[in-house]
Amino acid sequence: MLDHLLADLANAMGPDRARAEPLELALYARDAGVQAGAAAAVCFPRHADDVAAAVAAARRHGVPFVARGSGTGLAGGATPMEEPLVIVTTQMNRVLDIDVASRRAWVEPGVLNLDLSRAVAPYGLHYAPDPSSQQACTIGGNVATNAGGPHCLASGVTAAHVLAVDVVLPDATTARLGGLAPDTPGYDLRGVFVGSEGTMGIATKIAVRLQPNPPTVRTLLLDFTAIDDAAATVSAIIAAGVLPAALEMMDAEITRAVEDFVGAGYPRDADAVLLVELDGLADGVAADVAAVSDLAMAHGARNVRVAADEAERQLLWKGRKSAFGAIARIAPDYYLHDAVVPRTQLVTVLREVYAIADECALTMMNVFHAGDGNLHPLIVFDARVPGVWERVHEAGNRILTACIRAGGVLSGEHGVGLEKRDLMPLLFSPDDLALQGRLVDAFDPDGLANPAKVLPAGSRCGEIGRRPVPEGAWI
Amino acid sequence: MELREVAHEIGAPLRDGEHVVVTGAGTHDAVGNPTLATCTRLRVPSGIVTYEPADLTVRVWAGTPVRELQATLAEAGQEVPLDPRDPTATVGGVIACGLSGVRRLRHGPVRDAVLQVDAIDGQATLFKAGGPTVKNVTGYDVPRLLVGSFGTLAVMLQLILRCRPLPAASAWYRVSSPDLPGNLRTAMLRPAAILWDGRDAWVLAEGNEQDLAAEAEAAELGEPVDAAPPLPDAAHRGRISVDPAQLGALAIRLRAISGLRWLAEVGVGTVHVAADDATTLLAARTGAHECGAWMLREAGGDGCDGFGTALPHLDLARRVKAAFDPRGLLAPGRVPL
Amino acid sequence: MSTPLGLDPDELVACVACGLCLPHCPTYRVTNLEIASPRGRIAAMRAVEQGVVPLDGVFVRAMEECVQCRGCEAACPSGVPFGHLMEGARAALASQPIADARRSPLARRATERVALSWVLTRHRVLLTLTWLLWAAQHVHLVPRRLGVPRLRAADLRTPLTAPSGDATADAWLFTGCVMDAWQRGVHRAALEVLGAVGVRASRPGPGGDCCGALHVHSGRRDEARKLARRVIDSMPGTAPIVVDAAGCGAALRDYGHLLGTEEAAAFAARVRDFSEYAVSQGAAEHLVATGERVVVQDPCHLRHVQKAHPAVRDLLGRAYRLAETADDGLCCGAGGAYSVQQPALAQSIRARKAGALREAGADADTVVCSANPGCTFHLAAAGFVVEHPAELAARALSREPVSRPT
Repeated sequence: MLDHLLADLANAMGPDRARAEPLELALYARDAGVQAGAAAAVCFPRHADDVAAAVAAARRHGVPFVARGSGTGLAGGATPMEEPLVIVTTQMNRVLDIDVASRRAWVEPGVLNLDLSRAVAPYGLHYAPDPSSQQACTIGGNVATNAGGPHCLASGVTAAHVLAVDVVLPDATTARLGGLAPDTPGYDLRGVFVGSEGTMGIATKIAVRLQPNPPTVRTLLLDFTAIDDAAATVSAIIAAGVLPAALEMMDAEITRAVEDFVGAGYPRDADAVLLVELDGLADGVAADVAAVSDLAMAHGARNVRVAADEAERQLLWKGRKSAFGAIARIAPDYYLHDAVVPRTQLVTVLREVYAIADECALTMMNVFHAGDGNLHPLIVFDARVPGVWERVHEAGNRILTACIRAGGVLSGEHGVGLEKRDLMPLLFSPDDLALQGRLVDAFDPDGLANPAKVLPAGSRCGEIGRRPVPEGAWI
Repeated sequence: MELREVAHEIGAPLRDGEHVVVTGAGTHDAVGNPTLATCTRLRVPSGIVTYEPADLTVRVWAGTPVRELQATLAEAGQEVPLDPRDPTATVGGVIACGLSGVRRLRHGPVRDAVLQVDAIDGQATLFKAGGPTVKNVTGYDVPRLLVGSFGTLAVMLQLILRCRPLPAASAWYRVSSPDLPGNLRTAMLRPAAILWDGRDAWVLAEGNEQDLAAEAEAAELGEPVDAAPPLPDAAHRGRISVDPAQLGALAIRLRAISGLRWLAEVGVGTVHVAADDATTLLAARTGAHECGAWMLREAGGDGCDGFGTALPHLDLARRVKAAFDPRGLLAPGRVPL
Repeated sequence: MSTPLGLDPDELVACVACGLCLPHCPTYRVTNLEIASPRGRIAAMRAVEQGVVPLDGVFVRAMEECVQCRGCEAACPSGVPFGHLMEGARAALASQPIADARRSPLARRATERVALSWVLTRHRVLLTLTWLLWAAQHVHLVPRRLGVPRLRAADLRTPLTAPSGDATADAWLFTGCVMDAWQRGVHRAALEVLGAVGVRASRPGPGGDCCGALHVHSGRRDEARKLARRVIDSMPGTAPIVVDAAGCGAALRDYGHLLGTEEAAAFAARVRDFSEYAVSQGAAEHLVATGERVVVQDPCHLRHVQKAHPAVRDLLGRAYRLAETADDGLCCGAGGAYSVQQPALAQSIRARKAGALREAGADADTVVCSANPGCTFHLAAAGFVVEHPAELAARALSREPVSRPT
């Protein structure tokens, strides 16, 4: 069967466009998540026709398929389950058209997020969603996971920036979902496709909105001796009607680690720091800077540092962006979580998160998008210590449960993928999940598109022999 | 009353297999296609359930009038970017019809404001979709699918909406503009609206007061004017959705239709049209089709089709409909499936 | 426990597969294939070490395609020592026969062997061959695209003024093998700049020619170790060792790791790139503004390995209008002998770099500045006018102008 699939793919896409050598397959067995799967074959389309041909070939041979961009996803969304054909979109990486007047661009799914912003920079524009993996992740992957980033607080996540998506549906037909007109007649299929993690088809061409670069940008570092004060300041800023472009928090441990690593001038003895970015027009930004500074001081900040120039601003951000590098130097392994709680619950949930880490005897750090309550508890550990994975899992599940209990959700930007699909019942009732199952079945009645993702086993009709996530797959 | 009780009560006709349609203020009854006259009319409660200003979220019953919601939010210096033509419209009505307001250029479409929906499907089963937080990618984005689905997929009971701080200041400006005022969009950082009727352009700026003045001066907008231009109103109305890059081409066609009044949202591509007779309105639809656009009927039109076009990807749309409402009980006919 | 490649398991597991290295890898940038990425190469090494996949031709090719620019190391948040892993894998491959049609052709491997073992290590042989090459160039037998610089008889004939093996000198100027044969003018310029700030430099004593960098890259570690010992012996004492070839400088700085001795580590700690050392001696203040525009190209072994690239700007920033490329310092594809071993990939990578250089303003009249001979040859072959920071500095020294080499 595999030989026939490969022959079909080579026929449709050209020789050497599909491979199944053991080494090639091993390289596509996982993304940046921690679970590994196994691919039956991997192929490298160059344009939309290739993708359609690959999906058609997979269907003909009853093989599932999964699209993959740069493989930077942290939830295992691109991990090949049920021995699928991996359709790698990284060679479809052209920026097809930039319409400066209408502030939009058509791109292929393999275009890197940062490359897009660079391509439009000469026109004073940028693409707003900026996940931490911005330099490496693809727009196609961003669409699949509805990616976020620090600057999504004011400008919204990927779904707010995708106008239209040309897709290959799971039945190998093509469709344009959404469009350049503001509204399309009928259901917002584009809206539900974004964030569907490859289970509703594969994007082959994407129209995105571009934003004008704000003329004034100010970045502030607020220094607190109590993390509660920092969290209260976050709420106060929002309640005061200031909507920063970004509002990030780092706790004591991570601040020290970052400072040791980067030397950005972060206060080593702070209990928490806030990084606040305000942008827009000059006077409004100045007023916001004053308001944020006053609020911070009123809520017990020790110091407010406003970056004096672009170099200092870059340095402050370098600290934030180097957080994971700093951590890697503390312990060999880390597990990064992603959950959202209502902003007003930040203090309570953070306390609970630290308590859970203590009880599980794990080191925990927090660096996260405080402005929208998007927590990223980070457990650092050494996987070679016997039994540590069990404790990491236990802590992770307890943290997510605590977040949900506080009125939060399982994921703010990483997606559900494989990692959290079995935790979905924490947030959704069986009826909720059944409805989502019927919805994805409407797109993919045969269950061939990225199987075993997003929804827990038993949520979709026609799934046979779906196993729980194999424990042995953890690496 | 508890959500579950309401769901049970409202779901009764569905359990009995009746065709149903939700009615709020009735301000959107003529938008799109009419439903069967024999439908049982459902009413959803009104009122704010929870509001936490520091979370920038509000949970409301779908039957809450937009005006009432905005008044409560304004007390905390916030708003939701819902700008229905008639402020007595209900939150559920605006969202079910997917009608974005004229400030879309800055605030985005209504679909970006909906975080969570509690609703019942065609089997009267209560379900929750989305999540209560401002950022969430847990599961499929069902709320976006419900926005603009005209009640054909579910009966929305409660919604959690994303709020925004009210702008510190806002001002309308009016300039003479016989040509498409495309330059205004780039002359300002993020105008809230640029409206154009073929003779004049109106610009809505929001933000810091000094910034507004500076931008207005730089863009040569003159002094602020008292009020926004009224949306064209008449017995026969529609809204055209056109690729904003094709707005100029559409304007040429609309100008040629005598008796047609129109107001275009520059940079967005929504064009509000009104006429005293159905024929003129339908001429606007023809003009829209010639530009690759389409027109949603909002009022009048004398029995013309509400959409004037087949839904794209009809098979897929039908399967989606069946996933929510396999018996086809919800707002039958409202969307041309 | 012995594994197929004998790599350090701690170094291997350090990679968390985040993928942030991908855009910083020249071969990934032109192929967009996982197997041509740092993450993919580490996963491949891991799979082979664990016995999950066979050590076959696919694996060998994956290793051979790496330029070893180490751009990934600078981008890696986890600090994975990719260079060491790749050198280890190459060394393991060099020591075992792997029969596979997809390996590089026998002829190329034989040539490599002769070049590395018989020519570079014997400086007189190299100089003799260089004279032959000069003669061939003279009668137009050497196509420009091969990247061999225009050799000048005067340069080859005239030895450097600095003494050799003088342990009392202020600093050693490491002269190398190919550099001394093909780019002696750079050494001359370097000595001129150092002389202008009163630094007395000496050439290495006997044996101080080939640094062994290309041998390490090809997995010939034993030969490299022999060469390293020779080089260490050639420059005794505590004086700084100034290197004007970024690739050699990086190799010398890694002797501690290569030999694993304290002596070697102490030697490595004395190594300075030319620009770094010149700036520390106040050379920048001796330059006058020329008004000329120069596009800076950072050799990978200067930027990613030695991290000494800011010094080039510090040295030349006053004398020239420096322009930067907008490609995050991505490799040019020269990679020591890489441009010869992997010509197709090297050319694709260079095409990308050429675009970035042109965008930054490099043209027939605008010099590209590069601190490494490999990059210089590779870029010159694509039509750029390339000069070394030492040459640019020498030309801007505040006395009578020095004629520009043609």
